[in-house]
Amino acid sequence: MTDSHLTRRTLLRYGAYGAGAAALAGTAASWDRLTGADIPGRDDGSLVVATLGPAYGPEAIRTLREGFAELHPDIKLRINAVQAVDWSDFFAKILTQVAAGTAPDLVYVATEGVQLFAQRLGVALDQWVKRDAAELKEYFADVHPSLVESMMYEGSLYQLPVEFNAADMYFNQQVLRRAGAQFPSADWTRDDFTALLRDMKQSSGSRFTPYFWTNRLWGGVVPWLFANDTNLLAESKAPGGDWLWDGFYPAAQRKGRGGGFRWTTPQATHDRVEEVYDYLASLIQDGLCTRPEGGNGQNLIGVFSTGRVGVTPAGGFWAGGLHLAGMERDGFDVQYFPRWRTQRMQYGAAGYALLRTSKMQDEAWEFIKYAARKDTLERLFATNQTTPARRSLLTADRYEKTGPARWPVFYDTLDRFPDTGPIPAPPQVAEVEQVLLKHTGTALASSRSVRPALRRMQGDLEKAMERDV
Amino acid sequence: MTNTQIPPARAERPAAPPAPAPKGPSARDRGTRLLATLFLAPTIVGIVVFTVVPIVGSVILSLFHWNVIESPSYAGLSNYGEVFGDETVLVSFRNTLVFMILAVALQLLVALALALTLNGRMPGWLRSVFRSAFFFPLVLSAASISVVMKYLFNQDFGVINWLLGFVGIAPVPWLTSENAAMATVILVYVWQQFGFSFLLFVGGLNNIPKEIHEAAALDGATGLRKHLTVTLPLLSPTLLVASVVGIINALQVFEQPYVLTNGGPGDSTRTVVMVIYETAFEQLRFGEASAVGVLLFVLIMAVTALQFRLSRRFVHYQ
Repeated sequence: MTDSHLTRRTLLRYGAYGAGAAALAGTAASWDRLTGADIPGRDDGSLVVATLGPAYGPEAIRTLREGFAELHPDIKLRINAVQAVDWSDFFAKILTQVAAGTAPDLVYVATEGVQLFAQRLGVALDQWVKRDAAELKEYFADVHPSLVESMMYEGSLYQLPVEFNAADMYFNQQVLRRAGAQFPSADWTRDDFTALLRDMKQSSGSRFTPYFWTNRLWGGVVPWLFANDTNLLAESKAPGGDWLWDGFYPAAQRKGRGGGFRWTTPQATHDRVEEVYDYLASLIQDGLCTRPEGGNGQNLIGVFSTGRVGVTPAGGFWAGGLHLAGMERDGFDVQYFPRWRTQRMQYGAAGYALLRTSKMQDEAWEFIKYAARKDTLERLFATNQTTPARRSLLTADRYEKTGPARWPVFYDTLDRFPDTGPIPAPPQVAEVEQVLLKHTGTALASSRSVRPALRRMQGDLEKAMERDV
Repeated sequence: MTNTQIPPARAERPAAPPAPAPKGPSARDRGTRLLATLFLAPTIVGIVVFTVVPIVGSVILSLFHWNVIESPSYAGLSNYGEVFGDETVLVSFRNTLVFMILAVALQLLVALALALTLNGRMPGWLRSVFRSAFFFPLVLSAASISVVMKYLFNQDFGVINWLLGFVGIAPVPWLTSENAAMATVILVYVWQQFGFSFLLFVGGLNNIPKEIHEAAALDGATGLRKHLTVTLPLLSPTLLVASVVGIINALQVFEQPYVLTNGGPGDSTRTVVMVIYETAFEQLRFGEASAVGVLLFVLIMAVTALQFRLSRRFVHYQ
């Protein structure tokens, strides 16, 4: 039972509490407080560009911003360098921004995400490319059609490639000398490769691993699949794209080009896929290479530069990386991936994708063109942290300090082997990659585990590809 | 007629004064309550906003298909059907339970053994050094520690195999063998986490009155017997707290297996929270991820309730 009678004193006290609370609420309501709109750059009319943070450091971002401001002083630009460990982590963060309603206008997207963004989020660039065809002729003449084709989806172009990296083979020259081996020729074979690894192993101590490789979509098992003339998913090309090929490329270069790649039916149980896994399992069994899970890019430069690894697949990005790690330009060199049934090689490319949610699509197109200009790429990739998409940027001067001596290999991978293609990356790429990594680890436990693991991989890939993203 | 007076059956007592009518809380009590409510309000708001709302949100989201990009569509219980039919999810639950049992048991054993050791005769400064050393890993980021450990445990280039090489032991596939990977993840996890249980046990041991140990000694109890019959029963409330917190943490393990092994080889170290992360943020299936989250929530609640139920038998309060 409560006392329902309030004394005059209590009434006065509650009255004072109420007046105090009302005064506080009034003050709070009228306070000039911070909101989401006060975050620098948000809702201030800037064109927002999301880049992969670790790839674009502060210096690169400053270069990009200042150069754009000179050309387009009327467009406010904000570069949002998203910190992420890899492309899949980067896409996850971008999608979170999309879900939160703070999507950028442009996103730097690699092959891994091209089709996902194109299918769900991207705007085709066709209308602008056709409009500014005269201006873009010089760009397309300087960029290999294969790179452009990898940025197409179902007949439309979604990005202008600005960089790429093919999986070429790097050698530690000190290890080669120790093994008394010759530098391999451009048309070397898988058996030459195996023999070289054995020589390296014999001439080095127990703490040495001849071949270092990673377990991922780019640079892992996939280049071996390409070399053996197969793929994880059946590869074909979408129709269309003539509007681009006819307008920008001569007949010889546009032959066989289509409207972008299609990766459809899983074929993990294909004989040639099994052959590749058997081969890699045998290398592991013989102590000629690391287990795939043990290899990752973080410790690769260290072990390679100190001569504890002889050979590894890497892209043009490694020239800058090894140079920064203190390796002399003649301490390493690069060659094409060895031939098996073919010498088709794999690459990954990247460019800027325009999002449907953008309210500044014309301004975004101006940035896309600016980012693909020769002078922009020259400034941006000055330290050879990647392979520029423009052929004209690969010059002797560029590699004079960083090396390697055979730097033309980087772009010639495309020119010499025109069937070289992008890593398989359908819209379901995240799940496909996860399945690949998981079952590759299991498959290579021993030669007997290859077949059952590939059967499970096939089942999981089928499920993944059936799912609508 | 006799004037007989019937004596009262009992001696009459003076009637007790009527009980005062119950009053409501005094003004002082009301003031205290108001103050307590004001102090509790931020916490309550925090719990509602950051715990209750996300839980309810997850339950609702688990009934929808949602890929972030498009609007959610109602899916009923089909997400739960997908989850129960997905071998990876089932394996991750099995892995998480195995991890929980082994990691928590080892963590409690190590922490208890070290706390008992440090509780013995030892110079104060040395005790402080050990306490700090044992607690130190807990304040470090689990992800950072795991990155370092990944280097140390690398089969080909790691320091641990290099050291083992000096005593003639062949390189151990710490993180690349299905058998060894889970054990390595548990070792790293326990190394980082046992400091919390250790501190709880040190506090619990200090709270046991010395007289009880002295009395037990007078009764002839020594060494192990004294610990089994006196120390452990009196430490049981602390053990309960340490095991409840340990189990809840272990069921939500993510950073160590994610960084060290990425769930592999195969699925051998894939945990439930890893599956939630991968399903939601990599595969864009937020509905299914929420369904897995709800199931994990139910599992944690069930295990915790079971612990409290069992504690009635094993926990002794002074």
